[in-house]
This record gives sequence, C-alpha cells and structure tokens, in this order.
Amino acid sequence: MPEDLLPNQLLTARGLEAGYPGKQILFGVDLAVAPAEVVVLLGANGSGKSTALNTLSGFVRPWAGSIRFEGAEIAGRPPHRIFRRGIVQVSQARDLFPDLTVEDNLRLGAWARGGAVDALAEDVFRSFPRLAERRRQMVRLMSGGEQQMVAIGRALMGRPKLLLLDEPSGGLAPVFVKEIAAIIAELKRRAIAMVIVEQNIKLALSIADRFLILRDGRVTQRQDIRAGAADEQDIVRSIYL
Amino acid sequence: MPRLRVTRRLFWLVPLALLPLPLYLDQYRQYVVNLMLMYVPVGIGFNVVVGNLGLLAFSNVAFFGIGAYTSGVLALKLGVPWWLTILPAGLMGALAGCAAGIPALRGVRLFYLAIMTLAFGELLRWVYIRWVPVTGGSFGMSVPPPSVFGWTLETEGHKFYVFLVLVVLMVVLTDRVLRSRFGRAFMAIKDNELAAAAMGIPTDRYILLAFAWGGFVVGIGGSMYAALVGHVTPIAFDLTELILEFAVIMVGGLGSLLGSVIGAAVITAAPEFFREWLGFQELLFGLLIIAVILFLPRGLASLLARLHPVFVDRYYRD
Repeated sequence: MPEDLLPNQLLTARGLEAGYPGKQILFGVDLAVAPAEVVVLLGANGSGKSTALNTLSGFVRPWAGSIRFEGAEIAGRPPHRIFRRGIVQVSQARDLFPDLTVEDNLRLGAWARGGAVDALAEDVFRSFPRLAERRRQMVRLMSGGEQQMVAIGRALMGRPKLLLLDEPSGGLAPVFVKEIAAIIAELKRRAIAMVIVEQNIKLALSIADRFLILRDGRVTQRQDIRAGAADEQDIVRSIYL
Repeated sequence: MPRLRVTRRLFWLVPLALLPLPLYLDQYRQYVVNLMLMYVPVGIGFNVVVGNLGLLAFSNVAFFGIGAYTSGVLALKLGVPWWLTILPAGLMGALAGCAAGIPALRGVRLFYLAIMTLAFGELLRWVYIRWVPVTGGSFGMSVPPPSVFGWTLETEGHKFYVFLVLVVLMVVLTDRVLRSRFGRAFMAIKDNELAAAAMGIPTDRYILLAFAWGGFVVGIGGSMYAALVGHVTPIAFDLTELILEFAVIMVGGLGSLLGSVIGAAVITAAPEFFREWLGFQELLFGLLIIAVILFLPRGLASLLARLHPVFVDRYYRD
C-alpha cells in the first residue's frame, strides 16, 4: 500500500475514474492528503491534473472510485456541498465575479460558510496589502496577478480545510509568480492543506511536501520530498519522456 | 452609512404624498395612475429574474396572465371576494415561475432560454383560449367588481388605496429579498454562475427561488389587473404586452428596484402625454424608449443615482 493511503488522512481518493462524455480522462487515480500537507500534481498537458482537482471539488462527477474527506464519502456530491465541508478550489480561470468589487468578491467567498465576514476580510487584506488598496475596485479592471490574489483571498474567506489550487502561477508576470509563491508558502505555514496543480516545476517543488506525476490519467510516480530535494531534471524527464 | 439610512426613510414620504391624489383626479386619470401602480409589481418581478438573476427569461406575461386568471376564475366561478384572491394569484404566479424556470435548471441559457420561456407564455395563452369552461375562451370573462373586507371598490379612487398598499408591500418585500443572502446569491449567479457554485452557492435552488419570487410578485400584479380592468382576455397577455413589460424594466433600469417603479410610471404615463400628437403616439413612444436605451443604458434609475447616492441600489452592502 502506498504510504499516502494510510489512515488518518484528511482526504483519501481511491480508484478515481472520471471524464467527459465520450472521453475518459482519469483511469483509477489514488491520492491522499494529510492535514497541513501540500501535495503537488505534475504532468503534461492533458494528463488529467485539472480533471483530478475538478473531481475532488465536485465539478466533475467521478464515474467510479471513492473520495473520503474527514471520514465522509463525498464522491458525486454537488460542488456547493463539498465546498461547505471545507474543500475550496481556485480554478485555473480564477472564476471571479468580474463586475463586483474586490471586497464584494471576498464577501461572497464567505456566503456559504458564514463566520465573522468583516474580520475574515480584514485578515485577507492584511495578508494582501495590494488588495486592501484596491478594495473598491471592480475586479475586471485588475491585472492577472491581482486577480489571482483576489481568487486566493476569496477562497480563504471560505475558511478552507483543503485548498485546491489549479495553476496558481499560470499566465502571470514573473514578479507575480514570486508573490504568489510567497503567499502559498504563507498558507502552508498556517497549516492549510493544499493540492496544487502547477506547471512551474521550480515553484512546485519549493512548496511541495510530496508530488505525484500523472500521465494519461494514471499516477506514474509519487515521491515524498520532505527528506531530500528531488532532481528537477529527473522529474521533467519522467513527465514528458 | 447612517446618514443614508435616515435619508432612505424619506422614501416612505412618497406613498404618503400620494394619499390625497384621488381628491384631485377624475376617474380616467385615476385609472391611469392605478395602471401605473399595477405595472410596478409586474416590472419588479420581471426585473428580479432578468435584471438581478441575469437570465433571459421572457415568461413574465405568463405569470401576469396566471395571476389575472386566478383572481378572475376564483371571483367569477367560485364567488370568492377579490381581496382573498390576491394571495392565490401570487402563489399561482410563483408556481408558473417555477415551471418556467425548469429549462434554466437543465442548463438552458441565453437565446435558447429566451425562446423556451416565450413559448411558455404562448402555451398558457393557448390554454386560456381552449379551456373555455373555466377561462371563457377568446372572449375572456368579466370579473365581478372587486371587494375588500366586504366593501366593494366602486371608484378608481378606492382601488387606488388598495393598490398603493399592495405596491408598497411588494417594493418593501422585494427590497428585503434582494438585500438578503438570496439577493447576494442572485448577484453572484448573474456575474459568474460557475464561480457562484464554486463559492458554495446551490445555484439551482436560487435560480428557482428567483423565478418563484418573480412569478409571485407578477402574479399579484395580474390580480390587480383583474380588479382594475374587470375583464380578463387572452389577448391582454400576448407578445405586445410582454414587450411593454420589457420596456418597463429597460427604461427604468435593469436590476434596479427603483428602476422598476420609475419604468412602470413612465411607460404607462408616456402614451397619455403623447395623446396630443394624434397619429404619432406610437412613434414618439418608440423614440422615447430608444433614446433612454441609447443614452442611459442603465435606465432612468441610473440618472437619479448620479444625482444623489440615496438612489443607488444597495443590494450587497449590509
């Protein structure tokens, strides 16, 4: 049994099969996340990384397999129910409310889970001073990097137990990639468990506790890198060759 | 913003200021004012679905007709006094709203939803025409004079007071809905449905709720129609009527509660003003609508919002 399928995990997915009408994408993926752990999914385009995340968050219904989160089966449940359990996704498209202000976007992040909305928002603004300056600005008028911050900040408003980040550095200017990396590192210090899909391998390895390599919908390699750094060249080879 | 809260209370002066109106108006003018009042809920309900939820659903005239027929049938066939038919008319409107919202739950959007909801309205018209024993068919039915607590509303002035109460109630309740969690969910769905779902909002449930609330309010407008016009016929709920109702929210302001009120007043009053230019009425009416949409795409309500922040819709800020 792979070590990440041991009990006492926050989330355990087994034998996940999923896809879209007429095309299967995942062929039996096993994945587990321990509390406060950061797991990175690597893989070439089309290897099923995003589908795996979307299956965990409920936007894609698995065809087979189980997903247990804090002991409860959540496979096939609708996204809003999974969200309420504390799994919050920041999708690749960031999916913000473009015509609303930064502040309103954040507040809507707390819509379902409630809590002290103002305090949560102030907390986000403290972590993202750049957003605090622009709190009344419409999100559509912001740069990609700022929008990514709004998306992550909004996810935090839902007080996530497990945060799913889909290509957080995707399409961002190098300055912002650094900033986002710092933000993720900070979230890790706060012991928020994360599953991250990331193309930027350097960034991915700098924050990961473990990584999985997906290939054509199957996990081909998994490695714990807490003990020692993995060889970047090696990983690139096993992803693409 | 405590100062604004005080100024917003001043909105209550509007209905109060209208109270002496029947003393100054003849029966016809009073009828036109009552018509304006009737179009307020009709516009509000439409606006909740199209403006606040952001779905292109053109079934409003169906809710309106259902409300009118519910009041008409209950009053004429079962002898129920009109005031007791108002709530059933609203509930039937809400039911029709849920029915019209079903395609939206199946993921139908944009033009496809527009066409399906249009078809829903036409289907109901077919029912009104065919179900002769109940609806009276193409000739419709004459509704007995409306009564409230045993009093018959004999003059237009009498109807005015009842209508005013209903309109204030619908405005206040809808304001509550839009400022609650419900309204925030509508707003999120309108701006980005996927993101709304990702934020844990059960989008299906809220889409249905918006349709139901819209249908309820419009159904009450239909009940007012039965009381005001006294005659319910299928032709009153055709596409022309739908376009008129659409003009109410476009001219007033999409997604604005205040806009629905202003739109109802302007669209009802405008033809009366244009009466002096006989033969050009329709032309002038059309020009008015085009002018507003060209120069004020957010409607007349946006013009007021520029004048003073008290007129700004505040659906999100608590």
